[in-house]
Amino acid sequence: MPELNCVYRHREFGDHLTSLADYERAGGYLGLKETLALSPDDALYAFHRSGLRGRGGAGFPMGRKASFLPKDTGKPTYVVCNADESEPGTFKDREIIEHNPFQLIEGMTIASYAVGCERAYIYIRGEYEAQAQVLDAAIAEAREAGRLGPDALGPGRPFDITVYRGAGAYICGEETALLESLEGKRGQPRLKPPFPAVAGLYGCPTLINNVETLASLPPIMHRGPDWYAAMGNEKSPGTKLFSVSGHVLNPGNFEVVLGETTLRELIYDMAGGLRPGREVKAVWPGGSSVPVIGADSLDVALDYEALNGVGTFLGSGGCIVMDDSGCIVRASWRLAQFYRHESCGKCTPCREGTGWLANILGRMVHGEGRGEEDIRLLESLFGRIEGRTLCPLADGAVMPIQSALDLFRDEFIRVAHEGSSRPVPMTEAPVG
Amino acid sequence: MTVAELEEHLAPIRHEYADPRSLILPALRYVQGEAGWLPPHAMAAVAEATGFSQAYVESVATFYDRLYIDEVGRYCINVCVTLSCMLRGSDELFEHIADYLGLDGEGTTADGMFTLARVQCIGACDRAPCLQVDSGVQLGPLEPADATCLIDDLRAEPAPARYDR
Repeated sequence: MPELNCVYRHREFGDHLTSLADYERAGGYLGLKETLALSPDDALYAFHRSGLRGRGGAGFPMGRKASFLPKDTGKPTYVVCNADESEPGTFKDREIIEHNPFQLIEGMTIASYAVGCERAYIYIRGEYEAQAQVLDAAIAEAREAGRLGPDALGPGRPFDITVYRGAGAYICGEETALLESLEGKRGQPRLKPPFPAVAGLYGCPTLINNVETLASLPPIMHRGPDWYAAMGNEKSPGTKLFSVSGHVLNPGNFEVVLGETTLRELIYDMAGGLRPGREVKAVWPGGSSVPVIGADSLDVALDYEALNGVGTFLGSGGCIVMDDSGCIVRASWRLAQFYRHESCGKCTPCREGTGWLANILGRMVHGEGRGEEDIRLLESLFGRIEGRTLCPLADGAVMPIQSALDLFRDEFIRVAHEGSSRPVPMTEAPVG
Repeated sequence: MTVAELEEHLAPIRHEYADPRSLILPALRYVQGEAGWLPPHAMAAVAEATGFSQAYVESVATFYDRLYIDEVGRYCINVCVTLSCMLRGSDELFEHIADYLGLDGEGTTADGMFTLARVQCIGACDRAPCLQVDSGVQLGPLEPADATCLIDDLRAEPAPARYDR
């Protein structure tokens, strides 16, 4: 159960690397130094060889994504960091930004060198104002030191970063909605293709990556892609951040080598386990938009393939744990309310469907359910929503609810008949 | 807030965007920081300073939860009610705050001091149940008594020079 602070470098250095001098003392900017000794194409190849996959949720190979950007288009190329971190249960990027902002800045500099970008953006959710201010200060310090600005990538080779604040919209974590928002529009997803690599920000080639993905680049480039690729298993190399929350005694972030830790170890050994006498009932292991799994899946290894093997996804790594005091229908209702609220309204199946899901689950919970008729109605909705929209928000709404119904059918039927009284919430303060 | 003041605020960042449309969101956030919300004259100022129509600016503003097209109190108390917070008592926390403020659920107090809202995940599930005053640091885990203290403290504060939203 090895914990390795590769992205969370600050944890090795007193939990705080918010000044450039401290970051450099901790080995910061050695990755950029190695990168600048390579050609941009060789840097891209290093990303590819490391096996790094996108850490925002989709898990697409980062190097391949970067290689899709066309060259010599005559247009500028942009790098955009997705710091919208809005997936319920996910707060891993917040810690990078708060405690180790220069590793993100260095990672963005490395990525920008490889794809030929002179102006990058960090799109950060409006609710992260305190965190955005940490980034502003770090960027100002990096500029002062010449790490950003007219000669950031060498004499006469400019590079700079702009922090762009959202204003409260989950959907802006979807990459094309994020671009719309950054362009000053309503944050509604675009039809793909074209993909952002070809026509992204302002119609130009754009590389969009999550905070954790970009912050993984400095150690990869410093210690070499082969070092990174050797960690974990072949298809899921490297480390991954997991945020654990819900009914655990020690909620928090944990960085683990993919494939070397089980979900049980994450919950019980790292996140402090549950209250005495309680057992795990349900886990949403990758944020709330993934299928929920039950206690019989706790021995699954934490990597992309193994989690797929038990019918769910690694997703964002936002692991929400519910013990046997919780009501699965109430939890599903709460998630349905989330997706109804956050649906951008562009696609009818999502706009209307998430509302139906929330209404049906709500009346079941409140003792106004229509018995098995409501169960059949729920089941008839799933296929009318999933796969019928421009972006995955709707799929993310269906998956946790459909899987909950599959796994806990008897409880759904009971609640559809009898309702569900509000459980006593867990109020234990975190240990440690 | 005059158009000239807004233009002065936007001037240093104009070069960062290939399209001035990207200035609309920073401009809306800035005027909201001044006025606390986005009354029609604030939308008009953003429209003039960025060169887009007021109707377009309003169409953008209405999309985002944290841009307020209706007047809100001096402080917005944003209680997260998404799953991780719910499991640790956010509904009870919300109801306690509503009771303490004399509100029947979401809304603004009669004295205009507080607007109470249920919000979706604010990325602080490790601090569940948590809340945010405006867009400030995510506070938690909060017992009902902690929230009462927080509200008393805010009530005693002088009016802020700028709103943190």
